[in-house]
Amino acid sequence: MNKPLILVIEDDKPVRTLITTTLKAHDYRFLEANNAETAILETTSHNPDILLLDLGLPDMDGVEIIRRVRTWSNVPIIVISARSEDADKIEALDAGADDYLTKPFSVDELLARLRVTQRRLSMMNRDGAAQSEFINGRLRVDYAAGCAYLGDAELHLTPIEYKLLCLLSQNVGKVLTHTFITQKIWGNSWENNIASLRVFMATLRKKLESEPGSPQYIQTHVGVGYRMLRIE
Amino acid sequence: MTRRIPDSARNDFNNLLLENASDGCYNERVDEKLRRSGGEGMEHTAEAAMIRRGHLKIFFGYAVGSGKTHAMLAAAQTARQKNVDVIAGIVEVHSGTEDEALFSALERLPMRVCGQDGRREFDPDAALRRRPQLILVDDLAHRNAPGCRNSMRYQDVEELLKAGVDVYTTVDVQNIESLNDTVASITGRVVSERIPDFVFDQADQVELVDIEPSELIERMSVGGAVDGEALSGLYTPDKLTALRELALRRCADRANRIVGARMRQRSEYRADEHILVCLSSAPSNAKIIRTAARMAGAFHSSFTALYVETPGFAAMADEDRARLRANIRLAQQLGASIETVCGDDVPYQIAEFARLSGVSRIVLGRSAAASNRLFRKPTLTDRLIATAPNIDIHIIPDGAPSRPYRPPRAPADRRGFSAADTLKSAAILLAATAISVAFYNLGFSDANIIMVYILGVLITAIAATHRIYSIVSAAASVIIFNYIFTEPRFTLQAFDRGYPVTFAIMFLAAYITGTLAIRLKNIARQSAQAAYRTKILFDTDQLLNRADSREEIVTALAGQLIKLLNRDVVVYLSEGSGLSEPVLFPSDAPADAGQILSDGERTVAQWAAKNNKHAGATTDTFADARCLYLAIRINNRVYGVVGIEARNRPLDSFEHSVLLSMLGEGALALENEKNAREKEEAAILAKNEQLRANLLRTISHDLRTPLTSISGNASNLISNSASFDESTKRQLYSDIYDDAMWLINLVENLLAVTRIEDGRMSLRRSAELLDEIIAEALQHIDRRSVEHEIEAHSSDEYILVRVDAKLIVQVIINIVDNAIKYTAKGSRIVITSEKDGAWARVRIADDGEGIPEEAREKVFDMFYTGANRVADSRRSLGLGLSLCKSIITAHGGAICAKENSPHGAVFEFTLPAEEVQLHE
Repeated sequence: MNKPLILVIEDDKPVRTLITTTLKAHDYRFLEANNAETAILETTSHNPDILLLDLGLPDMDGVEIIRRVRTWSNVPIIVISARSEDADKIEALDAGADDYLTKPFSVDELLARLRVTQRRLSMMNRDGAAQSEFINGRLRVDYAAGCAYLGDAELHLTPIEYKLLCLLSQNVGKVLTHTFITQKIWGNSWENNIASLRVFMATLRKKLESEPGSPQYIQTHVGVGYRMLRIE
Repeated sequence: MTRRIPDSARNDFNNLLLENASDGCYNERVDEKLRRSGGEGMEHTAEAAMIRRGHLKIFFGYAVGSGKTHAMLAAAQTARQKNVDVIAGIVEVHSGTEDEALFSALERLPMRVCGQDGRREFDPDAALRRRPQLILVDDLAHRNAPGCRNSMRYQDVEELLKAGVDVYTTVDVQNIESLNDTVASITGRVVSERIPDFVFDQADQVELVDIEPSELIERMSVGGAVDGEALSGLYTPDKLTALRELALRRCADRANRIVGARMRQRSEYRADEHILVCLSSAPSNAKIIRTAARMAGAFHSSFTALYVETPGFAAMADEDRARLRANIRLAQQLGASIETVCGDDVPYQIAEFARLSGVSRIVLGRSAAASNRLFRKPTLTDRLIATAPNIDIHIIPDGAPSRPYRPPRAPADRRGFSAADTLKSAAILLAATAISVAFYNLGFSDANIIMVYILGVLITAIAATHRIYSIVSAAASVIIFNYIFTEPRFTLQAFDRGYPVTFAIMFLAAYITGTLAIRLKNIARQSAQAAYRTKILFDTDQLLNRADSREEIVTALAGQLIKLLNRDVVVYLSEGSGLSEPVLFPSDAPADAGQILSDGERTVAQWAAKNNKHAGATTDTFADARCLYLAIRINNRVYGVVGIEARNRPLDSFEHSVLLSMLGEGALALENEKNAREKEEAAILAKNEQLRANLLRTISHDLRTPLTSISGNASNLISNSASFDESTKRQLYSDIYDDAMWLINLVENLLAVTRIEDGRMSLRRSAELLDEIIAEALQHIDRRSVEHEIEAHSSDEYILVRVDAKLIVQVIINIVDNAIKYTAKGSRIVITSEKDGAWARVRIADDGEGIPEEAREKVFDMFYTGANRVADSRRSLGLGLSLCKSIITAHGGAICAKENSPHGAVFEFTLPAEEVQLHE
């Protein structure tokens, strides 16, 4: 499989060097941009496969870049933020980012996020838009029949749990914010629904995961949301 | 478990990090201090003291035509040559003179047209807009046309001075208030336009424009500034010499006063003399007040004007009231402090007041002393001398009053009548007669009948409001007794020789009892009023003491004012350099709120605050305003302005004096509140300072170690990489990584600290699954945890907690890291969670050595670090656990350290649990 082309948008040189060195060491192809203008130019001219975007750019707010890029492209965007405030991440995710990394991040973390996004990318390319079935490791969701299976055994899910599973599987690899999920499931994001979401997610996990302590399928992002992981 | 970090400390960190903000706060406080130490001048406001006050220079002459205006114009010319921005506010020059040339060289301020007769007056607002450095304002004592803001020109000038504009002006000796009588005695003319003495005495410079009287007469006769006709009588050498002497003496006196005032200020010396003048509504009283003021000036003594409010006050005619008010104002202008006491017995009240306030001299008018009527109580002076023998009494002649002034009694008498009282008296008399007839028929003696009539008169005295009823009914009793019960009956004759004596004694007894009863009643009423005043002041005091905030103080004060006056009250508080939005407190019969809160009214309130004077209705300034505005102040610090609806309804002196006391109390309460606030701020500031110092010291010390290790190791790897074997390199890499991780963790904690210590930032709480939080925390635990065994046991049920997840994750990380730090490798760390009613409890237990009992409370203190009992234990800032405590407390939970069995430590904390209704 071809290594994807990654556009690294970061104004701080040491961090950019850290990222590019890491990418080089793992045979990724990459482009660099140190401001928003160059970034948008590079995105339009080279059509990169993944964007690594630092939110704190000198000339434009990172979230604004996401909004602009999303007007014409579905390219996966991984946000890098030094701000530890969840609100920024949630804003970026709601604006269309796929994933986020918080500074300081480890190299392993960066590579893991890239792999997740890559798998999502390959699946998107392979499956196309309309699917009737979703397969991820031992999990199989039959959208047409409205059933989910773990291995051969059918999962007995409540309607909400099934809806959740569908939502997560359709966005596999992407971090979904609490607001996004509650909007999709209940049509609003009332406080009570967020509490319900936690419980349903826990029950869903219990049915899905063999070891709920170290989840395989559904990852929690405390304060942000949930994500279904693509299993190799 | 008690919380160790108080609210004030919560802000500490925030303030550490917001250094600028706290510095700003500090500056403000310094400013306030400067403001307080500076400007002891009269009637300064706090803000005015910040601007330089303008200089007032008075060109002082002894007669019209002495050349004051010329001297002023010449001085202005000199100033102009020194590039001072000079304009002519209002200057009266005569055409064809040298003055006109000087005047025409100056920029002129446009005048404003005032009143209906279109008089042109000096326009202080135009002057304030133009804001020159120096302005010329001729004739300081000029009275403005009606319709101007200030009734007198010196008030306009006062505003200019407050705004920092220098003023040159002119004054004649005849315009000085305290010299008014003396000048009148010389010239035979009373000048109505006068300035209070303090204006003259407080001028920064007085230049006496002197001229030989003979020269002046010559100048006048040549046809100078004044038309000779009106003044021809004045310009005689004798009179001019007398006036000149007066002017020279007044100037010298002023210089003495200034020196005296400085000396007093320096030595804190207060003259023993204390002069008291009694206020009355008599027209001659003004002269007595002026004399007393001059005496006070001469003795450099304190000066008090006393008004004794007698029961007759309520019945005083409007004309007399107005005169009394004018006299009170005059005394105020002459620097007296005004006191009011209530009582029937005037000399006793004066003597009592004098004794209590250490008065050494009392100044009285002769009218009060002179009395030659028979059957009068001894004169006021006699009785005063009797009651206060140690006090000097000065008696001032009245001059020659056209009519002897008598306190208004007649109208008061008429007002005492009422149909009800007449009916009552008649009925009582009738009843007495009926009983007497019955007694007579039963054969009782005359004595019994007389007693019945005396009783009747006594009852009349109590029931009726005026003493005339008791006199009439006493007389009527005697006549009826004579008519009905004495032989021959039903005639006004009496056979018995003893009867005239009986009648006389009966009348006297009835009269005296009646008078006594009335006096008793009056005293009771007065003491009730005094008690009411005391009570209302006491209540105010209590309420104000109880009030904590500015708003509460204002509400309490306004409530009490309404109780006292039953008028609408509006309050503006000082805010920065201006006034806050007004708060209206309507009375039972509220007037139009729109009118009271209008912009015009607001301007008056602002003026009152800025100039620290009364303004609005019933005063000289903005007399057409709806409300009377009084500053809530202590000395020259204005805390706000109270407006009281007073159009056409002036306050009486009782109300006024209670009102002032209440405003004083209010100002005191506001000041206390402000001081307390400042003290608290100062304490917080000091604490922040301390904390900042501690934090910086600790951080800089503790940061140095990992930074040394990181930079040293990195530099080794750069330069000596080749000489290291693979395992050494790995060790160096891993050291760098560990130290960097330690720094990252420190930064995370510091960030969390700023969030939690900042009282303003609310927690971003949402319903979270406790298991998720614990799982998240475990992912972030220091990677050396591989050397420790960490287990998380979750209960079967889903525990939802209402928390800020990020912060709780940090709590768990810190506690687990702490356990890792202080236990040996291979120790077991167990995290359990359970639900306990409305709370979720998390326990983090290790099997290390545990925490010594005495340290269990201290571990949560900031910068507390336990003795490093484990050889390779990590350095610590002592921040982690204190942060845990702050976070848990902010969530409403509790945290504590306990002992684990058989050994080890347990950290236990609670969080508010959340019940959830599942939305299927």
